[in-house]
Amino acid sequence: MKVTFPHLGTMHIFCKAIAEAAQIPYIVPPETSRKTLTLGVLHSNECICLPFKIILGNFIEALQMGADTIVMVGSGPPCRLGLYDLVQKVILEDMGLHYRWLTIPPRLTWQAIWKNYEETKELKKELTWKNIVLFPYGLWMGWKKMMACEGLERLAMKVRPREVKKGETQKRLKRALSWVDEAKTLRAVEEAVQKGTGFLNEIEQDHAFIPFKIAIVGELYTVMDPHINRGVEQKLGELGAEVTRTSWFSTHIRRSLRWDKNRHGSERLRFLKASKAYLGYDVGAECNVSIGEAILRSREGFEGVVHLMPFACMPETTASGILIQVGKDLDIPILTIILDEQEIEGRIQTLLEAFVEMLQWKRKAA
Amino acid sequence: MEEKGRIGIPRALMYYRYFSLWHTFFEELGWSVVVSDGLGKTGKIIYFEDSCLPMKLMVTHAVSLQDKADHLFVPRLVSLHRSYIMCPKFRGAPDVVRLATEGKISIIDETVDLQSRNHSLLQSFLRIGEKLGASKKEAKQALKKGEQVYSKFKEESIDRINGLPLRDLFQLRIPTPGKRKESTLRVAFVGHPYNLFDSDINKDIFTLTKSLGIEIFTSDFLSEKEIDRELSDLSKEIYWSSGREIVGALFHFLKGGVDGVVFLTSFKCGIDALLQEFIKRSRKVHGGANVPFLVLSFDEHTGREGLLTRLEAFKDVMEQRKAPNSKHQIPKKSQ
Repeated sequence: MKVTFPHLGTMHIFCKAIAEAAQIPYIVPPETSRKTLTLGVLHSNECICLPFKIILGNFIEALQMGADTIVMVGSGPPCRLGLYDLVQKVILEDMGLHYRWLTIPPRLTWQAIWKNYEETKELKKELTWKNIVLFPYGLWMGWKKMMACEGLERLAMKVRPREVKKGETQKRLKRALSWVDEAKTLRAVEEAVQKGTGFLNEIEQDHAFIPFKIAIVGELYTVMDPHINRGVEQKLGELGAEVTRTSWFSTHIRRSLRWDKNRHGSERLRFLKASKAYLGYDVGAECNVSIGEAILRSREGFEGVVHLMPFACMPETTASGILIQVGKDLDIPILTIILDEQEIEGRIQTLLEAFVEMLQWKRKAA
Repeated sequence: MEEKGRIGIPRALMYYRYFSLWHTFFEELGWSVVVSDGLGKTGKIIYFEDSCLPMKLMVTHAVSLQDKADHLFVPRLVSLHRSYIMCPKFRGAPDVVRLATEGKISIIDETVDLQSRNHSLLQSFLRIGEKLGASKKEAKQALKKGEQVYSKFKEESIDRINGLPLRDLFQLRIPTPGKRKESTLRVAFVGHPYNLFDSDINKDIFTLTKSLGIEIFTSDFLSEKEIDRELSDLSKEIYWSSGREIVGALFHFLKGGVDGVVFLTSFKCGIDALLQEFIKRSRKVHGGANVPFLVLSFDEHTGREGLLTRLEAFKDVMEQRKAPNSKHQIPKKSQ
């Protein structure tokens, strides 16, 4: 048995940690590339959203490398994410690839357990008692590594706009993340974080520079994965903007587990409430949060909002229409970037440069 | 009864399924109903958001009504079934319409969510009645009448589609024509009701089809039980009620009983895009009868002539299959 999982930001680091700590054999799919996307596009149709295509591409590449068990997060209605597995299973079957599929339910319900029952029974034969005993430790290890990655990424977002030599932060962040990836024990993870933090802080910075404050909102997949959004976060940072986002793995996991120690759930609630003025009902996925966050961020003194969504995303399409009005009413520039499989990296760079320039004018005029 | 005022209903989205209910309800309460016209020759669409064509048409129709009525009826349709939901875009539709009409008209945007007791059909319509100044009893009676008319129309829908031109299809006063004569070719049209019946989306495909002498079937023909049966062995429940209807009907018709199946979809429809892939692949994986299958995708640029060519070609395919001892006859796949 070889387990595999899709790419999403730094997810491979902590998924790998879980599998490694529990001694389950695994295969990390190759880093999302043009080839991954081409495979995904080839085996789906034009109006299916981009995350579907990339996840499918990841799976195809991993299965071709010899993986045989797919682990995938599930989700509920009304977004299409909840039916990804139904369609992807048929596509992989049609391609003649053999796999087993495990869906992690978004919420633990009887139905979720029932639907996964057959597959779990099969898997139980191949797992040893050692795997099962070690699994909680693996989860804890994964959680620690996830927090470590997020901490480093957050720090990089702060450092990036002030760096003197452009591109230095990204280089160092990659190294720091690889240290976390290599750490084998909980203690080593902590050391890697300390070393990485120091490493990032050592970057030569221009402390007199006041960066623009920009919030990234939108569909979580496009916000979290730099391969899908073509490094919007990094590009904005290097243009001199301090970027903030509320879409992190930890916030989404905490929300679905209803585990609100640090009040991340209530922050979401705050966004939902703020969106009420424009949207009278919870549309689903991140639609209301996108709108609410844009409204609140403009009140908190942010200078711009970048809204990311995949082409033909159902909830975010509604959000993008309403965000135009929000931008007009609250006098905050909002840039909506729609992402699909087209090669648009250059165009995004131009759009972001123009956006930041506009913020500069606004600042001068004020 | 004296007239209390005018209710504007945009001729878009679920109007095409529930027109009879909505019409009857408002007329019973003493309001006259104004329904928006089609785009007409100019075909000017308001691009308020970058959505699918049916949603853009919704906004366009609503804006065209803003000076013609006292209230605009754009219900927030969250769920029209006790266990399945509608497309997420429907949830935001009243808000989008409100922004597009710039608050020039009052909008009745009552939530209909059959999954929650508070927003059941009765509760929602009672609240609408209250807003329009009707008593509970009046509203209840109007809804009951509306539901009767709705089920009568649903029963007769296949006869109406085949017997009436499209513009008469959604007129309450025009009676259903009697028994039609049987055609040799029977084709099932599957899709969202607005893709099937909105001539601005599908360029009046039913008239084209009828002019080719083809008899039309739709998923109205199937009962909910039949659809559930088709979907019983899926590994995961499809949770959109329209999606279920489409997949169930396609599975049913593709097994046989008709000579061809046409799937109508709008470009950028998220539900259709995903399910279309699912149907195509499941057909390949699981095999089955070889009923000719045509997928037509519509957007603002779809032309009538191109559509006619495709339909004619499709007709040729069906006729060849039907012809006895035809050279081109496709052998039935053994299962």
